[in-house]
Amino acid sequence: MKTFGETLMTLRLSLLLLALAGALPGSKAHAQVLVIANPSVGTAEVSKAELRDVFTGASSSLPGTAQVTPVLLKQGPVNADFLGLYVGKSDSAFRASWRSILFSGQGVLPKTLDTDAAVVEYVLHTPGAVGYIGRASPHDGVKTLIVR
Amino acid sequence: MTRSPIATALLVLACLWGGTSGPAQSLDDLNIEVHGYATQGFLYTTKNNWNTTNSSDGSAAWTEAVLNISARPIPQLRVGVQGRYLLLGYLTNAITLDWAQADYKVNERFGIRAGKVKTPIGLLNESQDIDPAQLWVLLPQSLYALANRNSTLAHFGGVMYGTVPLGERFGEVQYRGYGGQRVLTSDDAVFQTVRDKGISLPNGATGPMYGGTLRWQTPLRGLMVGASEDSEHTSGAAVLGALSGSLKATHFYQPYFYGIYEHSKLMVGGEYTRQALQKTTAFVGGPTIFIPKDQRAWYMMASYKLSEKITGGIYYSDSLDQQLPRSAARFQKDWALSARYDLNTYLYLKAEQHWIDGTELGYSTSDNTALQPNTRMTTFKIGVSF
Repeated sequence: MKTFGETLMTLRLSLLLLALAGALPGSKAHAQVLVIANPSVGTAEVSKAELRDVFTGASSSLPGTAQVTPVLLKQGPVNADFLGLYVGKSDSAFRASWRSILFSGQGVLPKTLDTDAAVVEYVLHTPGAVGYIGRASPHDGVKTLIVR
Repeated sequence: MTRSPIATALLVLACLWGGTSGPAQSLDDLNIEVHGYATQGFLYTTKNNWNTTNSSDGSAAWTEAVLNISARPIPQLRVGVQGRYLLLGYLTNAITLDWAQADYKVNERFGIRAGKVKTPIGLLNESQDIDPAQLWVLLPQSLYALANRNSTLAHFGGVMYGTVPLGERFGEVQYRGYGGQRVLTSDDAVFQTVRDKGISLPNGATGPMYGGTLRWQTPLRGLMVGASEDSEHTSGAAVLGALSGSLKATHFYQPYFYGIYEHSKLMVGGEYTRQALQKTTAFVGGPTIFIPKDQRAWYMMASYKLSEKITGGIYYSDSLDQQLPRSAARFQKDWALSARYDLNTYLYLKAEQHWIDGTELGYSTSDNTALQPNTRMTTFKIGVSF
């Protein structure tokens, strides 16, 4: 039978392992996703709320930039991770809410692209564009945004 | 003065073309997009026929198709037009203009749109006709009756809108103010109850309207509460057999109060409204008929996303016209159980079961010789959007 001290040690080790697991690449959704922006976007950091508002159509600006344009990935694990972590919606619920905006005349659908490379290319050449890609994808020339 | 929907659409398109057709601007620069959706519904009711569809025998007379064209020549400016084909029993079988507008957003705090625009009242008015965005086959009919849709959906005029942040501790307030002219054509489904009495409105009905909406996005993430007030004063020429006259509604003010909470896979919402007015039909050499109305309507709804593809929900919808004599015709109580299955990004299926008591809404006497006090309704819908 374990003593109280041994139990405490086991608990500490378990917590340490959990913390290490959390720190490993790929162990959390946000570790997979990189938020990128056109160099014209005038901020290096955004809050989760600001990012959510831009990608749900509730807002079209970020600090330092009056007009930003979101761009989406069509599908895949990076898309699912981004929506789950920063928007708080599944892909189908997210697209349903955009259809509501589009067909009620309150906005236009964000551009949706097939690959990380296409998102990087679009963001690079579109002033105010904000997108997301897999962390391992090349993204030369675009700005990476830190999400607070 | 009324303006035809087609004329307005052409006006908007002319503005789009004329304002952006300079030599420096290519079609790519206009960011033109075309989207649309189509749905096919199936209805079966155990007793009463619903909205002229002969649903007690099973009916597929419910088809809808929408085409949307929009452009964004500069980031702050959007112009667009949306048309709709709707077949519903013999209530309507026509192509109509949903909206045709130019929208200029100065910044987050202020924007304005003009043309034929969606009327921003209540929780769901602007999106009540957008089937791909909804879980439900039918929205709560106490507030969003299908036959009454055009009477509240859009108006000719404008909307100004914006969002005012209140700081991190207090959330933000979204405002909408609108005004213009309500224009209802003679064949609009909202006049079916008048047609049932043998009265026609050859020029439809028109009148000034205005109102506003405030929505508070509370500091509790996902919780929004709001209120709207709509004011209208419509009238039109009326014909009853050989008699001619008019149909007028008193100038009325209609409040809406609502709230919605969305967290992860859960949504809970509710809304209340009251419409009190008096309609008067007066005919030269004939009778003057007063039709008072005092409708109190509300609903509560909840839905849960069971998986990426499946969503389930339930609502209770309640309406009571206190001016009508005590009978099943003065109220409607509707329990609905709903499910939606998204086959992929474009294609979806819906199924919904209704338990309806009372006959206040959704029935025409033209195909219901003797309305029964209650009925059950089973509905299915398939939809595709792009």
